[in-house]
Amino acid sequence: MSHDFYLWMSYGMTAIAIVAEIIALRARRARALLHVEEERELEAQD
Amino acid sequence: MTINWFYFSSPSTFYRFAGALAPWFFALAALAATAGLYIGLVVAPTDAQQGEVYRVIFVHVPAAWMSMFLYFIMAAYAAMSLTFNTRLAAMMARAIAPTGAMFTFVALWTGAFWGKPTWGTYWVWDARITSELVLLFLYFGFIALASAFEDPRRGDRAAALLAIIGVVNLPIIYFSVQWWNTLHQGSSVSFKGTSMHVSMLYGMLLMALASWMYSIGTALVRVRAIIVERERRTRWVRDLHPAIPRSVPG
Amino acid sequence: MNETVDGTFAAGFRWAFARDVRLAWRHPGETLLVIAFFILVASLFPLGVGADPGLLQRIGPGVIWVCALLAAFLSLPGIFAADYADGTLEQMALSPHPMAGWASGKIAAHWIASGLPLTILSPLIALQYGLAPDSLAVLACALALGTPLLSLLGAACGALTLGARGGGVLLALLALPLFVPVLVFGAGAAEAQATGLSPSPHLSLLGAGLIVGAMALPAAVCAAVRIALD
Repeated sequence: MSHDFYLWMSYGMTAIAIVAEIIALRARRARALLHVEEERELEAQD
Repeated sequence: MTINWFYFSSPSTFYRFAGALAPWFFALAALAATAGLYIGLVVAPTDAQQGEVYRVIFVHVPAAWMSMFLYFIMAAYAAMSLTFNTRLAAMMARAIAPTGAMFTFVALWTGAFWGKPTWGTYWVWDARITSELVLLFLYFGFIALASAFEDPRRGDRAAALLAIIGVVNLPIIYFSVQWWNTLHQGSSVSFKGTSMHVSMLYGMLLMALASWMYSIGTALVRVRAIIVERERRTRWVRDLHPAIPRSVPG
Repeated sequence: MNETVDGTFAAGFRWAFARDVRLAWRHPGETLLVIAFFILVASLFPLGVGADPGLLQRIGPGVIWVCALLAAFLSLPGIFAADYADGTLEQMALSPHPMAGWASGKIAAHWIASGLPLTILSPLIALQYGLAPDSLAVLACALALGTPLLSLLGAACGALTLGARGGGVLLALLALPLFVPVLVFGAGAAEAQATGLSPSPHLSLLGAGLIVGAMALPAAVCAAVRIALD
């Protein structure tokens, strides 16, 4: 295995981890806003 | 003039504050990362013993530093939340945990891919590496415990206590290199002077700064999501995103 | 008309300790299970890795430690869960005795019913693994110092997970990482002795850990119980 393989695997996984975290973060925010909408609808029904 | 130290401990004021600050931290992170990667990958010379593969340190070492540093910060927020019984401190602890876990994983992964070409093995059960793995489980435990209760405040408090108990693990990691004869590279960064080329040091420090700024940015964004989730029944959260009027049938 | 009882640490400790030891004596199932599990799993390893005496001697301290650790872990829910479920824990929290007192008593009783039998049995298992007498003695000492610490750490985790979703797996995720330093130094002590080095650094660290744990962890247990009862 050339040393490039190890460098690519390391930097690559780091990049993947950061991108994955940012995507998960956006999904979490979207889910939270969805719950706000659900609460609003529940209250509107009262 | 008296300072109200608890001004920002209200979720609604902090929400706006965090939203305003987060982009700046991400911008700083991007800047520092660009500079750090340029120095690390272009400027820094080839290592005499390890060749090019040593350049892994520019992600491995900052990730390892962050993994431990973030745990300390998380435990500090945990202690604050238990002492002052504030919700926001507990939310900040929850916001930091996933980023800390991510950096711990990256540190372990990049460490393995640095170990294989240099020591001949992906994994070795020395004290430092094993403690880093344990740290990953401490993060998982915190996240799991915080989410294990119907009442989020109970989860806040239980996880906060867990974080404080787990903080004992961190000094063991840090001092383990001195306590044990291991394969792991002896700490080569100290305030007395380093044993590596100066550009390598600058590259590492810039990448450390980048990961620190990134961590603050993600924590601020995540805590905003947590605040919205927790406070979804309040007026101010509803007013953040006014309902889109829908056409009424009939 | 009613005599107020002055709560003290010692009185609370004695009361909870006596109660839990008596309960364990009358219902020895839990303790017997711990012992049985320890012996069983320790017997599984040679079946799994082969009966080569050199190998068993080499892995003996670590394997025996892991078996003891897992056996102790199994008995952790029993410290608080039953009392929590039937409301006794709430009653105890209302007692005039400081919580640290009776909580420590419960933890000490737990050790009597789990860690102590394991420590006493360990020389027998160590003989099965062909450990030399001096390693055997160091192993027993290490277990004597380490298992109380496991009870202390485990009690804190048990209290934190009272009423939590995720049950035993969550408890494992919380407790086993905290157990790691105890395991490392405990097994390390016996291994050091076996390879001719001195076990005293390991044993000293275990002892220090036990002292610090005995001072600090009951407070953590109390905080966790209070969180659970809120």
